[in-house]
Amino acid sequence: MTYIIADPCIDVMDTACVEVCPVDCIHYEEGVDRKLYIDPDECIDCGACEPACPVTAIFAEEDIPEDQMPYLEIDAEWFSDKDAARKKVDDLKPPGEKG
Amino acid sequence: MTPTYTRKDFTSDQDVRWCPGCGDYSILAQIQRVLPDIGKPRHEIAFVSGIGCSSRLPYYMNTYGFHTIHGRAPAIATGLKSVNPNLSVWVVTGDGDGLSIGGNHLLHVMRRNVDLNIILFNNQIYGLTKGQYSPTSEFGKQTKSSPVGNIDHPIRPIGVALAAEASFVARTMDRDTKHLQQTLLAAAAHKGTSFVEVYQNCNIFNDGAFFPLTEKATKADNTVVLEHGKPLIFGKEREKGIRLNGLTPEVVKLSEVDESELLVHDAERADPVLAMLLDRMTHPQFPVPLGVFRRVERPCYEQLMQGQVDRERKRKTPDLAQVFRRGNTWEVTKRS
Ligand code: SF4
Ligand code: SF4
Ligand code: SF4
Repeated sequence: MTYIIADPCIDVMDTACVEVCPVDCIHYEEGVDRKLYIDPDECIDCGACEPACPVTAIFAEEDIPEDQMPYLEIDAEWFSDKDAARKKVDDLKPPGEKG
Repeated sequence: MTPTYTRKDFTSDQDVRWCPGCGDYSILAQIQRVLPDIGKPRHEIAFVSGIGCSSRLPYYMNTYGFHTIHGRAPAIATGLKSVNPNLSVWVVTGDGDGLSIGGNHLLHVMRRNVDLNIILFNNQIYGLTKGQYSPTSEFGKQTKSSPVGNIDHPIRPIGVALAAEASFVARTMDRDTKHLQQTLLAAAAHKGTSFVEVYQNCNIFNDGAFFPLTEKATKADNTVVLEHGKPLIFGKEREKGIRLNGLTPEVVKLSEVDESELLVHDAERADPVLAMLLDRMTHPQFPVPLGVFRRVERPCYEQLMQGQVDRERKRKTPDLAQVFRRGNTWEVTKRS
């Protein structure tokens, strides 16, 4: 049970979700990360971030579309191994690639 | 032996129906997170609620639960605990349910010291009915039912609990998840009525009511965390403290006053005087105290009741007919 941020966020990162999260559990490093990450241990499943996202990148764990499933693991991994998570994002969507 | 649980084990199959972003989600999540640590199997835990947004919580818990009648959760929880003292019984209520319609029940359950954990979600508004002033709404507040300002003086939940001689009284906030968890655990560990006020943001009808206390930028200056045996120090740099001037607390700078002059918190003091004084510290004149105001030991209602029953049973064989006929009883005879 958590919310996750999937690939529409990549290179968008407008941080609308950060503003609304009541427990400040959405994180990223400015200038380094290409997307934001939700801490699954801190997320309270309140759903406030989901409608705030202009590109529909945020999903409740149980509603993740099939092709976005890798982000469940990637979001969690970022909190223990940022580089591994970043690499997976780059592999899924190489920098510079549009769409 | 108690099984090893995780948060998931306490999550029911029901869809949570609070407004997105509501503070209630946090309280639910923290309760589900601490329950694995209270050392009780799921079937020995029960959540009892009244009416209101807060009171939907039992549906979301994978434990026993009872969504009861408005304001009456304490009475039903008292019954439950009295006949099954082994249960860990939690009462979930709000500022409307617990302090308005159910104020009287709340008073008496605390006075009796039934071993319950009472969690009062205080959002200073009636949320379920869409935004009318509640007993904790501030004076002058404009709401749907007070369009030109509330003329009721607000009640202080901690003060009510102390006046009722509650044996454990604490305050915490939805947005400070760690402190909320700690406080819930402390409440669960206490034997007797534990009363916990949780400042809870109703982001739809009273958004930001506690933001000066909960938000990162202002929290350190507007709250002081009570720790038993420790001086009251607060501020971003922990540069300020509370000193007593007679019976009046005052904010002092640690650059001007030595730490040894500060008020030292004593949660275990037999009388509630210090706790009362702390409860009077309000925003913006003072940092608002968070943590355990009071924690004292006294016999629990269900123990006293069971003790009495056992003693009397031993003393004599119960005879109901005899009890009925005892004292000033007489028979009404038909006039002939
Ligand atoms: S669901 Fe709520 S707690 Fe979780 S990331 Fe979104 S806003 Fe934050
Ligand atoms: S609102 Fe959506 S696009 Fe913006 S940072 Fe959050 S997840 Fe990314
Ligand atoms: S009305 Fe307020 S308290 Fe009730 S669920 Fe919505 S946000 Fe929460």
